[in-house]
Amino acid sequence: MPRPTSFGKDTGLQLRMTFTMFLLGLIYVILIVALLGAGVNGVTVALIAGGLAVFQLFGSDKLALRAMGAREVSPAEAPELHAMIDRLCVQADLPKPRVAVANTRMPNAFALGRSPKSATVCATTGIMELLSPAELEGVLAHELTHVANRDVLVMTLAGFFATIAAYVVQFGFFFGGGGDDDDNPSFMVLFLVSIGVYIVSFFLMQALSRYREFAADRGAAMITGRPSALASALMRIASGMQRIPQQDLRATQELAAFYIFPPGAGKAIGGLFATHPPMEKRIAALQRLEAQLQGAA
Amino acid sequence: MGLFDILTGKRKVKRPAESRLFAMSTAAITLEMSLGLRSGGRAAIVFQPLATADFGSIVGDMEEVLRGTGGDTGTRIDKTDDSFGYRWMILSDDDFEDLVVGINVVSQALEDGGYGERILCAVFAFRDEHDQPVYWIYNYKRGAFYPFVPAGGEQRRDSERELRLKAQIGRELPVEEELERWFPLWGIPI
Repeated sequence: MPRPTSFGKDTGLQLRMTFTMFLLGLIYVILIVALLGAGVNGVTVALIAGGLAVFQLFGSDKLALRAMGAREVSPAEAPELHAMIDRLCVQADLPKPRVAVANTRMPNAFALGRSPKSATVCATTGIMELLSPAELEGVLAHELTHVANRDVLVMTLAGFFATIAAYVVQFGFFFGGGGDDDDNPSFMVLFLVSIGVYIVSFFLMQALSRYREFAADRGAAMITGRPSALASALMRIASGMQRIPQQDLRATQELAAFYIFPPGAGKAIGGLFATHPPMEKRIAALQRLEAQLQGAA
Repeated sequence: MGLFDILTGKRKVKRPAESRLFAMSTAAITLEMSLGLRSGGRAAIVFQPLATADFGSIVGDMEEVLRGTGGDTGTRIDKTDDSFGYRWMILSDDDFEDLVVGINVVSQALEDGGYGERILCAVFAFRDEHDQPVYWIYNYKRGAFYPFVPAGGEQRRDSERELRLKAQIGRELPVEEELERWFPLWGIPI
């Protein structure tokens, strides 16, 4: 008997993500053709970038943790956090990741590691103080979904050729700029193609990252069954519940008239550069999930 | 999860594996006869209560069924919510078989209602010869049991004992093979 599910599919998100990855692949093919056209040095660059990507995958965890001032904690040191993650791991069918805590007031959480087995989930002391247990659970489930989706691996691989393009561009600036003897036309083409690839892939990567954030929000809602708790956590993190306004309506209206652009008008352009989707969209997506769950949609 | 699912970040909460819950009915006899573990007469099923109307009515109906059959079998039902927001349905019955059946009634009702993925686990309480608690936890998503022996004191577990139990029970019980999935449950109320 096919059992009903409490959440529907989000086909649109899957389509957008797949399309973005297709575009990334397409411009990478252009880069590869250009590299091959320019001759051997392209292969050398690919090898260097490959080595760096491997290092990034295998060695960057500890560096990142140290950069954040985070420290792995034992169950005895952080019993609540461990117990919460234990339960979420059972629900998400994941092996237990390492658990780290960063001692900073900034409310934040992140996940590291190329595979679920080598993953680390880190929360700051700030976020643990700020959020209620249900909200914190939503945030941790979001991070665990990143782990389950292997987002670190996917984004590193997706960025692999962008890295190559960046190296070619830098190489061109350092060595091609001299221009004393014979100008190599094929290198000139490669240089220009690389700049193009670098720019386009940058925007595509940012878009991909935003889609994966939506996917992680969605996954978190499925694990906890409480989309609204995550939405509330997001609002609280985004500077003290400012989305549900505390200020009197009459006090806010006039000021907006003095701006050249209404507040928030620049967002369409700024959005292209963002790695995270805007808060409103994430909350709207979570509210749709809550509506599905309540059987209203 | 397939490669395409990883690439598109598709995430489904895993549904319960094929139920091997009833393996506990026979294993309990071995546990008592050869390992000296007596049933504590209590078992619990732990799930996330969702704040939706139909979830409430499913749980309500399920409780009614349980109380109905409990009249015949003598199973008592209690419930309590823990600090993590999970609900514990606690069944008490001296007949171990009735406990397993009762737990199955709860999980079946949740699954039929479409909320199977909300179940965290089932817990069976045993007592050893020194009257210390030994728990067997059933992970629905994995379809496997694992032992959990609190060692007294803050967040301490007797891993040696747990590993020995796994070896002793052998093939009679489907035991979780990956040790990193032997998740502890502190403060079990049974």
